[in-house]
Amino acid sequence: MLAGCAAIAGGTGLSLATGGRSDVGLADLSGLFRGAEATLAEQTMRDIRVPRTLSAVLLGANLGMAGLLLQAVTRNNLASPGLLGINQGAALGIVLGVAAPGFAAVPLPLLATFCALAAAALTFAISGAFSGRIDAMRLILGGIAVGALGFAAVRLGYTLEDDVSRQIVRWTVGDVAGVRMDAVGRLALVAVAGGGAAFALAHRLNLMALGQAASHGLGADPRRTLAAGTAVAAILTGVSVSVAGPIAFAGLVVPHLAKSLAVPDYRRLMPLAALLGAGLLAWADALSKLWPGMAEIPVGVVVALIGAPWLLAAVLSGKGAGNAR
Amino acid sequence: MRADPLPYHRFGSRRTSCTLILLSLVLTAAVLFGLTSGAVPIPASVLWNTLLGFDGPRQDFILLNLRLPRTLLAALTGASLAVSGAVIQSLLRNPLASPKIAGINSGAAFAVLSCTLILPAHASGLAPYAAAAGGLAAGGLVWIMASRGQVDAARLTLIGVATGFALDAAVEFLLVTQTGPEFSAPMIWLTGSLWGRGWTHLAGVAPVLSVLILLAFLLSFRLDLQYLGPARAAALGARNRLERGAAFLVAVLLAAISVSVVGVIGFVGLMAPHIAMRLVGGRHWPLLPAAALTGAIFCAGADAAGRAIAPPAEISAGIVTALLGAPFFIWLLISENRSQRGTG
Repeated sequence: MLAGCAAIAGGTGLSLATGGRSDVGLADLSGLFRGAEATLAEQTMRDIRVPRTLSAVLLGANLGMAGLLLQAVTRNNLASPGLLGINQGAALGIVLGVAAPGFAAVPLPLLATFCALAAAALTFAISGAFSGRIDAMRLILGGIAVGALGFAAVRLGYTLEDDVSRQIVRWTVGDVAGVRMDAVGRLALVAVAGGGAAFALAHRLNLMALGQAASHGLGADPRRTLAAGTAVAAILTGVSVSVAGPIAFAGLVVPHLAKSLAVPDYRRLMPLAALLGAGLLAWADALSKLWPGMAEIPVGVVVALIGAPWLLAAVLSGKGAGNAR
Repeated sequence: MRADPLPYHRFGSRRTSCTLILLSLVLTAAVLFGLTSGAVPIPASVLWNTLLGFDGPRQDFILLNLRLPRTLLAALTGASLAVSGAVIQSLLRNPLASPKIAGINSGAAFAVLSCTLILPAHASGLAPYAAAAGGLAAGGLVWIMASRGQVDAARLTLIGVATGFALDAAVEFLLVTQTGPEFSAPMIWLTGSLWGRGWTHLAGVAPVLSVLILLAFLLSFRLDLQYLGPARAAALGARNRLERGAAFLVAVLLAAISVSVVGVIGFVGLMAPHIAMRLVGGRHWPLLPAAALTGAIFCAGADAAGRAIAPPAEISAGIVTALLGAPFFIWLLISENRSQRGTG
């Protein structure tokens, strides 16, 4: 828990202190409440840096909790929003909202969340989860199929508009560069509500960890746990994706870190995953601005560049993601 | 699921031959469809006049120089990807497996993008070699990392997925940091498209791919043994390391070379073997040819459909295969769920 707090503090400080303007520093935080009288540097801090850093922190917390929830309800260490097709479903929702005139009236976060839920439901239907017995291999297979379908549709949506493809690539890898305060409010709302719901589910998740039969015997229907946990995870993911694009790997790496740091009690793991996710994303955001000699790279790429080799190392050492079945 | 040893034994050889002939006919139809569809609609009469040398209105240039090589290339790479997928699936005894799972696509993509970044002037000429080398390197790396001790199928799959993710992250990094004007070409290639492919591309890869496909066919009897699992295969006299290594090398080369000319066309290597297995069963001798035909139909049809849907705009073949392949795959999984529940 302490490690998580320290990670957040360090990452947040660094993320706030770095950026396109070198004359803006932590001292300008004092201008946060100065309203119209703030200097230019203080305005930069207030209107650009702070929302960006806050959104990174909140995204990390949301995705970390979503990943932990999914790994708990599926009892599968490889489950994560990216691997179950939930990220891609949410991305498809965004593309629908932008490209299809019929959906123009629906708010994007709502559309993204709905599509994320639909993708999760489809993945679980394929894996046989609604019959009460989840096959791990089928779950991954289904997730990959649903994800590929969602992403092919996303690409199709942009095939005909060549000019925007560069921005789309930036968006589809996860970017917080343009996030403003209203989005931060949305993320915070979902983080609080989703975090509360996840914490309330923690007891059921602990029972679930004993096995589906034992969980049933102790009075918790595993199917309801699955549905509730996935719904919360899909909402957390959907709103996050609507703000910053699908950030891969945060939902996979963070739960593993949390489980390696704490006892397997979801009442502790859930807040820890939120803290670690927030710390990871804050550091990734800081690093994305510090990259030497070139323009900023999206935070999602930094997370992927950290997460993918980590996954490889974990698989090679036979730990972590090893027990997919 | 495929992990059970040789699951479909129930079909006789007559049904198998009929199926192969039928698949060939469907492939012919797909190729003809590929020739007629596109920005310039060509009616059947003109098609026959041009192809068979009849008198009358002809479309020599479009048909013979643009669409014919392109469609043939689609069919050939589709067959290669499908055979590659079938071999990898049976080596790993894993229905999830495909060339993509072994990290081949990502390795090729990374190599091609690095190439456009480092040597932009020579990028178009070097790209095929870079893709083949990158795919081979990634596949080889996965094999080496997995093969400390015995090559364990589950371990190989996980290492392949993880390697693919790592390379994908590197590809994303290159894509977002690249600022040159050559941005759209790698994008089209990454989605898998036959746009602008012609006789030179076909001539470049056709001999190698044909030989590799034949090699895979020759290996099919050894693959039957290997499908029983390394331990049982060894007990029946197979030289595991040599046979599995050779089969894996053939599969990686097939996929890497295909990707080098047409880009990342997903789902063919995953889907075609599944369809072929449902049609002719699990023994590799009819399975590999059936998979090759299915893959060829899939790719040629996807390319043709991509041109036919909204001419003159083109939808990349890779998008079409994913849009068709993913739902089919989902249906396949659900229907297998049901049949499993039925039999208890």
